[in-house]
Amino acid sequence: MVYTKKSPALLIIGMIMLAMWWMASSGMMDGLMEHLAAGKKYKFGSEIVNLSLWFGVVAALIGAWQLFGSHTEGAWDYYSSSIAGGMFILLIAMLTRWFVAPEVAVISMGFGKVGDTGKYIHKLLGLNYIVMGIIFGIIIVNVFKVPGWAQNGVRLSRLGLKTGVILLGTLYSAAELKNLGGLSIVMIGFFVLGSVGMTLFMGSRMKIPNSMGGVLSAGMGVCGVSATVASAPVVQAKSVEIAYTIGTILLWGVGCMFVFPVVGQLLDMSHVQFGAWAGTGILNSAQVAGAALAFQPDGIETLKVAEIFNITRVLILPIIVIWLAVWYVKREGEANAQKVNVGKVIFEKFPLFVLGFIMLFALSSTGVFAPANHYKGKYFDNTKVKASKMMTDEQIAVLVANQGKVQRQDRKEALARLIEGRKIASMEDDTQIRGLANSKIMGKKSGKILKKAHKAVRHTAKKVKMFRKWITWLFAFGLVGLGMQITLASMKQAGGAPAIIGGVVGLTKAVASLVVVMMLISETI
Amino acid sequence: MAGVRLWADTGVLNGEKMFAVNKVLLASHGTDGAKAAEKVAFELCEEGATLHHLIVVPTFWEGTTGDDWLQNGSVRNDFRRYLEGELGREVDENFVRVGEAAIEKGLNYTNDMVVGEPDEVLLASCEQEKYDLVIMGSIRPKKISGLRSRMLKDKMIRKLKTPVLVVPYPDE
Repeated sequence: MVYTKKSPALLIIGMIMLAMWWMASSGMMDGLMEHLAAGKKYKFGSEIVNLSLWFGVVAALIGAWQLFGSHTEGAWDYYSSSIAGGMFILLIAMLTRWFVAPEVAVISMGFGKVGDTGKYIHKLLGLNYIVMGIIFGIIIVNVFKVPGWAQNGVRLSRLGLKTGVILLGTLYSAAELKNLGGLSIVMIGFFVLGSVGMTLFMGSRMKIPNSMGGVLSAGMGVCGVSATVASAPVVQAKSVEIAYTIGTILLWGVGCMFVFPVVGQLLDMSHVQFGAWAGTGILNSAQVAGAALAFQPDGIETLKVAEIFNITRVLILPIIVIWLAVWYVKREGEANAQKVNVGKVIFEKFPLFVLGFIMLFALSSTGVFAPANHYKGKYFDNTKVKASKMMTDEQIAVLVANQGKVQRQDRKEALARLIEGRKIASMEDDTQIRGLANSKIMGKKSGKILKKAHKAVRHTAKKVKMFRKWITWLFAFGLVGLGMQITLASMKQAGGAPAIIGGVVGLTKAVASLVVVMMLISETI
Repeated sequence: MAGVRLWADTGVLNGEKMFAVNKVLLASHGTDGAKAAEKVAFELCEEGATLHHLIVVPTFWEGTTGDDWLQNGSVRNDFRRYLEGELGREVDENFVRVGEAAIEKGLNYTNDMVVGEPDEVLLASCEQEKYDLVIMGSIRPKKISGLRSRMLKDKMIRKLKTPVLVVPYPDE
């Protein structure tokens, strides 16, 4: 079978990208950029010029070959047939990030801030390029259908997300990974076991079949659709039970992706708190990433926390699958249930991309991406910090005025040293000040000053900066593509007992994890 | 509607069958509503008539892996194979059940399983082959849970050139 479609679509996509590059580089877009920047500096000028050119050339050349060339069966045909769909997703991500989301922000700012929240509508609702990209993906698949020439490429979105997680491995320090890993194991362990148990209990009370209880508990407890896919064959779920479960999870997941960032903004949650809450409370792993980026679209601190939770969930999955298999055999008797090979389950269900994540983390720890002296105090030395980077009298006055709001002793002391020295003096102080800024305790103005002080002593290495950019794009690409796989027809299947159980368990998990996060998790790790 | 109900219960309307049917398309996937349609089809068809049994597997099943991205390809393939097996088993069970009953009544039984949108598949089937009558169950009452995929749609009825008999839901 020849997979490459003789369609002009990829060539047209390439031409659109090249047109964007030409318009941006020739200054034709200056007026539009100025309008979208809303009085600030337009952030995406260099992205439009660079990414549009490179991807436009690739898309136009391969598109011309696909349209006019001859194609024969083979590996190259199979893999190259996915390029059109991949470029289609990328174009949507580009248009959303560069033009649509900024325009929505401009319109939103025109309405002014909402009540006493101090935030604009788009910030409050998390209407940024990530959320809008997912919405466009959902609209495309449900209203227009994914065109035939793009179908192979839509599957690339999974590769995009996994590559994003692997690259994310470069951004964690050993201490961060240790602390986040510990936190996620405790949170996920408690809430996974709790929600699996609660689902099974409610299922037995409502007298649903064991197979339905099994598949629903995995979906509700662990990582949504992924867990359903992994556990359905083990508990011999019926087709209708699978449809109910996936419908319920998708409906909840998409709902949570919109609701969680709003709640996070209203509660002024820190990046760590929101990442931990989304990573625990949202049923479906795709929407965890979506919500994290919706909450913090211009940085990846929240995503870093949320993805550790996702990784913990998927690592726990084989254990839950084995547990459910044993539970199912016990309930149904050996004659009716399938025997489970524990080793095979662990081997087959182990997520290989996590190995990539660990490898890049290990590589990053050797200092290959950021020189060792980068994080070891080079910039804490007085001689290395320019006078212009030291805090001004006015900034000091703001900090002094808000000093009383800080309760924690370690932070109080770090702040006092900062005020005295007009710059951060050590790694430890930097950690405290960063936490203080993230906690937003001292107010917006102080927060900005603290962040500036942090930036004056800690510089992100060029390679790490590049990774951050690529990670953002990979997640944007992946989530638009995943949006194209969320069909309303699947969501409509939510119903019956699974919808009731799912609603109760999902809500309990979301609320309980919010309470735990707000009570027990500090603003920084 | 009341007349149809009477007919569904007794197989006759006012003491007589409405018209002779020698070739019937029965759309049934084994739900309670569809089983009511099966019952009417058996009562209506004379011995020697042809009963073609159509089961449509709706396209929403294609999106059942949803937005899963954490699993390895092999796990997703296992799931797809399992789901296909389950759907295939359910279809086979229905074919065997209806087929055995049809043969017992002396009918010529044929069947077909098609993946697609139920209303579109029915229209395509009726264009490919001429039937005297299409028999199907009515829309499930709201209180009854089940999969949401309708064959009975206004646009289908408008386009269909074959007479249709929609059998009321058993508990209605």
